[in-house]
Amino acid sequence: MQQKGNFLKSTFAEIIQHNLPAEIYTWLQDKALLIREEKNAGQLNLTFAAVPRKTGKQLIQFSLEEHDKLKQVHSEYAINGWTIDRLCRVWMLLQVDSSDKENYFRKLETLFKAAEMNELVALYSALPGFDYAEDWQKQCADGIRSNIGIVLEAIMYNNPYPNQYLSEQAWNQLVMKAFFTDKDVKRIIGLDERANKELASILIDYANERWAAHRVVNPQLWRLVTKFIHAENFANIEKAFNSADLSEKKAAALAAFYSHYQPAKDLLENDIELKFAIKENKLNWNAL
Amino acid sequence: MCCSSFDGEKTNPTESHATVDLQAIKGMRFFDPHVHMTSRTTDDYQAMYDAGVVALIEPAFWLGQPRTGIDSFRDYYSSLIGWERFRSSQFGIKHYCTIGLNSREANNESLAEQVMEILPLFIMKEGVVGIGEIGFDDQTAAEEKYYRQQLELAKEAALPVQIHTPHRDKKRGTRRSMDIALEHGLSPDMVIVDHNNEETVKEVLDRGFWAAFTIYPFTKMGNERMVDIIKQYGTERIMVNSAADWGISDPLAVPKTAALMKLRGISNHDIRLVTYQNAITAFGKSGQINEDDFVTIKNIDQSVKFEGNTVLRGGQQPRIDKASIIIS
Repeated sequence: MQQKGNFLKSTFAEIIQHNLPAEIYTWLQDKALLIREEKNAGQLNLTFAAVPRKTGKQLIQFSLEEHDKLKQVHSEYAINGWTIDRLCRVWMLLQVDSSDKENYFRKLETLFKAAEMNELVALYSALPGFDYAEDWQKQCADGIRSNIGIVLEAIMYNNPYPNQYLSEQAWNQLVMKAFFTDKDVKRIIGLDERANKELASILIDYANERWAAHRVVNPQLWRLVTKFIHAENFANIEKAFNSADLSEKKAAALAAFYSHYQPAKDLLENDIELKFAIKENKLNWNAL
Repeated sequence: MCCSSFDGEKTNPTESHATVDLQAIKGMRFFDPHVHMTSRTTDDYQAMYDAGVVALIEPAFWLGQPRTGIDSFRDYYSSLIGWERFRSSQFGIKHYCTIGLNSREANNESLAEQVMEILPLFIMKEGVVGIGEIGFDDQTAAEEKYYRQQLELAKEAALPVQIHTPHRDKKRGTRRSMDIALEHGLSPDMVIVDHNNEETVKEVLDRGFWAAFTIYPFTKMGNERMVDIIKQYGTERIMVNSAADWGISDPLAVPKTAALMKLRGISNHDIRLVTYQNAITAFGKSGQINEDDFVTIKNIDQSVKFEGNTVLRGGQQPRIDKASIIIS
């Protein structure tokens, strides 16, 4: 994990350098040196809060090479849409000396405890680069309990940490919360790989609640049910397939097509056009 | 900490029955530099947005129930820069705050010491536009001690100060607050003296401080009196706020006062100064106010769940038809 932190540190530094005027970049480097060397957290606390005052908050620019280089962390890792203060703050957090584990956690946890909104975004964005990665699970799970939209997005969108480290229970909360808060679930790394029986069952209950309340059901929900269709829950797929809402119907078709449950597969014989579209890859989960 | 303690002058609440018509100020933008949104409902946020309030400042204050531990203070400060800020953004209103130890709770000295220790963690946060609201309540020695310490903190951090002036013995309390601020070397243009009235305004302005007026029924200024003050003193360094909180108060006090000014012949230019621009100029000395943010806040993600309903999306604040018996 330290390796990942170091990789991010150096890659971010390159991107930061061409996004900031030279004197601000120098200020940042000087502060980083102080932060690396200090025993207490005085410089860290001050600098972390002060970053946007120095850097501004404009969107970062980066080259295609830099974009691709970041894929070494994970093929879906991306920092598109980050502002310069967010990137600088994340980079700043990665400077904290981790050799004394207790002190390292104390420093970072203090920042979490007194963070404003944008600081929380930076803190959770930095999770993939933190040392002792497996010990940040609880913090990550705690972040998912937030109701602040941009904080949730920092954890959910193109962030490889939850996929790699969250327990199944915490992972399921993340996915559920994403559906509940209308997030773009396609940006959750590991969405398909970590689909599980428990989550599928919770999501089917959720779909039924939505139907009962005459509210729309996010079609992506059926994506996570695909591998777990069986005799007991098949009626739900049929219901979605027969929905008047076209995107719900398409989602049910996709779930049925990729299912291992034969009656589900047979369902598609009722709509050869849809089946064909899926076979041709004209209809897929990302196009839905 | 404002105005709910009914220990000040009480006036007849039913003097005027003029109905509210905000048509005259349609399209104007307002900045309420003192309002305690933590104690207000989402209806208030919507009403403020509709009336043209684009940004506000929420000063840290006393919550009615005294706090007994440091973590209550920490969580309160965190909520001002976290949850409440987000809540406000969902309604398209940019939320700033001032952070400080209020005068009432300064009297709990052992706790006040701990609060002073954590203040530096918060005052340099984004969107913190000053130290406030601080000053005098009972005018005790403890209040003075922490007022002075916080003035030093403000000076060090180059932040404006938002001063709460006392309900009781107001005139002397206001003078004393200003004397002490000057004694600590603060420039009067970095100090906003709040809750002024006809008796305090002249000295505050003469000495070069900002004079804020709280339009708050029964215990503070009424907006008719406010109009008269503008007519007498002009608009330089004067600003209007609602200080709406958990008492009987009005989160639309700023737009309503603007509407009344308009009706009484005050120019749009002058209305803009006292209901928008002066507050931005004063608190903008923190370097933390960017008017462009008032526009972009409307584009923030609003898709958050409320009470089991996914109601907020795409920049539109959800509306409920209050006239309908149906809730869906």
